[in-house]
Formats: sequence, C-alpha cells, structure tokens
Amino acid sequence: MDQLLQALVNGLLLGGFYGVMVLGFSVIWGVMGVINLAHGEFVMIGAYFAWVLNRSLGIDPFLSLIVIMPVMFFVGWLLQRVLINRIVERPHLIALLVTFGLSIALANLFKLFFTADPRTVPVSYNGSFELAGLTFPIVKTIVFGLSLVVMLALHIFLQYTRLGKSIRAAAQNKEAARIVGVEVGRVYAITFGICIALTAAAGAMVSTTIPVFPFMGPPFTLKAFTITALGGLGRIPGALLGGIILGVVETLVAIMVPGVGTNLGIATSFVLLVVILIVRPQGLLKGLRPMEVT
Amino acid sequence: MRTRRLETIFSSRNTFIGWIILLILLALYPQVTELSGIRLLQLTQIFIFITLASNWNLIGGMTGYVDFGHAVFFGVGAFVMGILVTQVQNYIVFAPGLSFWQALPIAGLAAMLFALLIGLPTLRLKGPYFSIAMLGTFVAMREIVRVLKDFTGGGRGLDLPPVLNRERDYYFMLVWMGLVLIAIWWIHRSEFGQSLMAIREDEVGAEMRGINTTKHKIIAFMLAAFSTGIIGGFWAFQNTYIDPDVVFIEQRTVEMVMASMLGGLGTVWGPPLGALILYVLQDVVWSRVPEGHLVVLGVLLIIIVLFVPEGILGTFKNPSSTSLGRLLRGYREEQPRPETVATE
Repeated sequence: MDQLLQALVNGLLLGGFYGVMVLGFSVIWGVMGVINLAHGEFVMIGAYFAWVLNRSLGIDPFLSLIVIMPVMFFVGWLLQRVLINRIVERPHLIALLVTFGLSIALANLFKLFFTADPRTVPVSYNGSFELAGLTFPIVKTIVFGLSLVVMLALHIFLQYTRLGKSIRAAAQNKEAARIVGVEVGRVYAITFGICIALTAAAGAMVSTTIPVFPFMGPPFTLKAFTITALGGLGRIPGALLGGIILGVVETLVAIMVPGVGTNLGIATSFVLLVVILIVRPQGLLKGLRPMEVT
Repeated sequence: MRTRRLETIFSSRNTFIGWIILLILLALYPQVTELSGIRLLQLTQIFIFITLASNWNLIGGMTGYVDFGHAVFFGVGAFVMGILVTQVQNYIVFAPGLSFWQALPIAGLAAMLFALLIGLPTLRLKGPYFSIAMLGTFVAMREIVRVLKDFTGGGRGLDLPPVLNRERDYYFMLVWMGLVLIAIWWIHRSEFGQSLMAIREDEVGAEMRGINTTKHKIIAFMLAAFSTGIIGGFWAFQNTYIDPDVVFIEQRTVEMVMASMLGGLGTVWGPPLGALILYVLQDVVWSRVPEGHLVVLGVLLIIIVLFVPEGILGTFKNPSSTSLGRLLRGYREEQPRPETVATE
C-alpha cells in the first residue's frame, strides 16, 4: 500500500513536469495546426543550455531559466519566421516531414558539438524529505512546483491578456481573427516563440534529474503526443491532467512489471496513445481545435 | 514541346526496359570483371537502399500513409533471424539453429504478421496520426527488444555465425531488388495499385467508389513490411552482429523517406533513383564529413519538402508543380496550390 502510494506521488511529480513539457507542443498544434516532431529536440536544447551555463558559469539550472527563456523565445520566433511560416497552411504531412527533418538535423548538430556522451547537471540540494510517511525528492518537487507556476502563468496570459486573446482567436478562426484586426503572422511567431521558450525551460528543469544527450528528444515528442491526445489540443488544464495520467501510469507500470524499471516508459506511452486514438478519436478532452483522427 | 519529350523518355515502359537491362548488366558484372570484396559490398548496400526505399514508397508514397517507423520491420526481421539462427536450440531440444534459407522467409513473415497486428489499429487513423503512431511503434519496439534479454540478448545483442560470402550476398540482394521493383511496377499498373492511389488522393471518395480501403491499406502495409523484414533478416546475417541500437536506428527510416521524396513520392522509379543519388551523396560527399552528414540529411529533407515536393521524376513530368521546376522552366506566376484552401 505504502509502495503504491509512493508510486502515485512519484507519478504525480513526474506528471507535473510532463504537463509543462507538453505545453509547447500542444499550443503550437492547437493554434497553428502544426504537429512539431522536433519538439523533443527543443527539450534537449534547453537541457544542454542549462548544462553549458552550469558548467561554464556555475549558474543554478533553475536560475538559468531567466536566461534560457528569452533566448529561446527569440530562437522560436526566428524559426517561425524562416521555416514554420511556410508550412502552417500546407497539409499536415508537409509539416510532419519538415519538422522530422529538423529534429534529425538538430539532434545530430548537437552530437557534433557536444558528442554523444551523457551529461549531468549537478545541484547542491540533491536529497529528499519525508512528509506523511512519503518520500519527496527535493529536485523533483521543485520541478513540480515550478511547472505549476509556469502553467498558471501561461493560462492567465492566454485567458486574460489582449495578446493571449488574439492567440486564441487565431486558433479558433484565422479568417475571422484577421477581419477583426489580429495580425495572424505576428501572433503565430509570438506563439511559436513562447512555446519554444517553455519547451526549453522544461528541458532545463529536467536536466537536473536525467542525463542529457543529443538523442534524448524523440521519447519526449512521443510522450507529448500522447498527453496532447489525452488532454486536448492547446488546453493547459488538459495538459496537466494528461501529464499526470501518463506520469502515474508510467510509474505504476514500473513497479508492477518486475525487473523492468522505467525502461518501458515509451512502450507504455505508446500503448496508451493507440488506445486513446482508437477508443476516443476526438481526444479525451475538448481542445482548441478538434483532433479528427479517423 | 520539351515537356512532352521528357514525358515520353520517362514513360513507364521505357524506364522498365531500362531497369531490366540495368539488372542484367549488374548480374553479369561480377562475372565479367574481377571485383574486390569492398566493391561488391558497396553494390549490395546500394541494392538494399533501393529496395528499402521502394518498400517504403508502397505505403508512404502510393498509399499516402507516411510511415515514420518503417525501420521497425527491418528490426523485427533482423531479430527474428538472429533468434532463429542462434537461440532456437536453447528452447527446442535437438533442434539445431536454422540455416539462412530456412530462417529468411520466417523473418519476412514475422515482419508481415507484425505489420498486420500494428496496422489493424494504426491504419484506421488519419495520415498524421498514423505517422506518429508508427514513430511510437518504432521507439517502443527498440525498448521492448532491449528489455526481452532472454531472447534478444538485450543491449548486448546477438552474434550470428559468420559466413562471409560477398558474391552470394550480392546476387541475393540483386534478385530481391529485381523482384521488388517488378512487383512495384506491376502494382502501380494494377487495379490494386490504382486503388491505393485513389486512397491517397481522397480516402472517403475511394470508399464511396466501393474500394475496401482498410483491406487495401493493410495489404500494402503487409507487403512493404514483408520485403523490409526479408532485408532485415538478410542484413542480420550479412552483418553477423545485431543489437537494438544498430538495428533500430532512425537513420534507416530517414533514408527511406528521403530517397522516396528525392526521387518522387508514389512513382515507381523515383525511389530507386533517389536511393541511388542518396547513396552516392553519402558515399562520396559526406564520407569526408562523417560526423555531420545526418545534419545535412535533415536539412536536405526540409529543402526537398519545401521546394521540390514532387521529387526529381515529378519535376521532370510536370515542371510547374514544384518551385525548382518553375525556376528551371522560367515560370513566373505562382501556381495556386489546391491544398492551401483553409480547412477550418
């Protein structure tokens, strides 16, 4: 029972991180209709960014978010202007192929610069504390807390600010948004920038708990896809809920299948994905745009 | 009428005859001249490239279901081969490990059966969802193979009995490539192939016309998987060593996608042409920068998709359909793209 409860806690902590990791993917898909297969690579870039800052300047990975997010916002903005803008209104397939190419190029570019050796980002407060008989690893708890803050901030931004409202307007009906004076191109670029910044931030946070290497990306892309299918496109509460479901299922599989550990994380995620897509093709929750799977 | 002439030169029949002549020349090649082992190996690799690209084209090009995890069938074929050749005697007493020829069809059939199991749920999904589901299948299978240590040797992998016979490898792949190309050529002309292309153009419309789309898609998928599984099994035997990381590599899928896109998606002779160009590029140009060649490959894929989506053959056949063709032919006006109509 204790073990089960502990697994639930671990799954919950993991799920919070998944929630923030998936935001960028989910919002880009929801707003622009682009499935970004290079999503995991931006997690990887964020993680390397934190590693570099930590190694060269000794900056704490959580503190380095202040630097990483603005820089990656600009990177995302530029990328949207140069590349993604050309594929937004084309068929899904074009976007998939282009972002697939991007993911291969980015992963191997980083292998070129940083070699394939796994890196770790050390933090001084690497311990755990007990609460009500359950163990909470400090780093993972910080990641969870920060994730919640980020999600809340994005939610408020999308719901209540003028820019957030134009982003949602562009997602719901591009033509109508144009008519009422939303500059859709600009809104797309800003959205992409925000999403890349968030994704990189997730990468920087996760660099404290898992090894960082150039090919760490694809599992994140796949998990992001599963969570988005669970939580609906572009919905932040949905992202959190989907993330927690996946996190809990993954941890439960890890304790129930002996001798496997977390090695079946992707397989679990994949089975979950196929089941959702077949049982509920429109996604578990309603998103910014319908999924139209079959 | 430059276009008309190009079209006649690249007509299906002419290209078919050209390929048959090329195949016969290739069959005679090692007999006429003394070839070094490395040259035979290179040619065998080109055949593998071409066949894999053609297999992928059957589902990704003709049917329009872009498969981002097709290398999974290569991996299944390779591991079934490895297990049958090295592991069977551990489980069935008195049964010696199977030979190459006994195990190879089983490897192909296993990949085909796996395609049936995976295809039944995933081929019901729309294109993009299918693509991601296949990417998931690929990554998940790599994990599963790593976890099933008892059968697959886990991360340590399997050692197959080394049988070095480059000339046999060469002829096997030549024959298999020939068979696959002829089969694809035939499928392309047959009612079955036309149905596949109807599915690609308009799946609902195809269904309305009485085409059993699910059945067609699954058969195409299984055929592609069978051939890829055979090549996986062959590769395992040729390489004499397999582990999850050398068999399940993304690069293999990327190469299949790239070759098909480069040559012309959904055409019969485009993928072989693309595979040939890709191999030469990899061998001649990128071997000088071995570290960065996948970066170049990724960027090239983006460029092709954006500017030459119809591939080389498509550009020849209809120059106005791609940016490159328009540039070469001096077209000025932007052709309206039918797919840009907003779907919301």
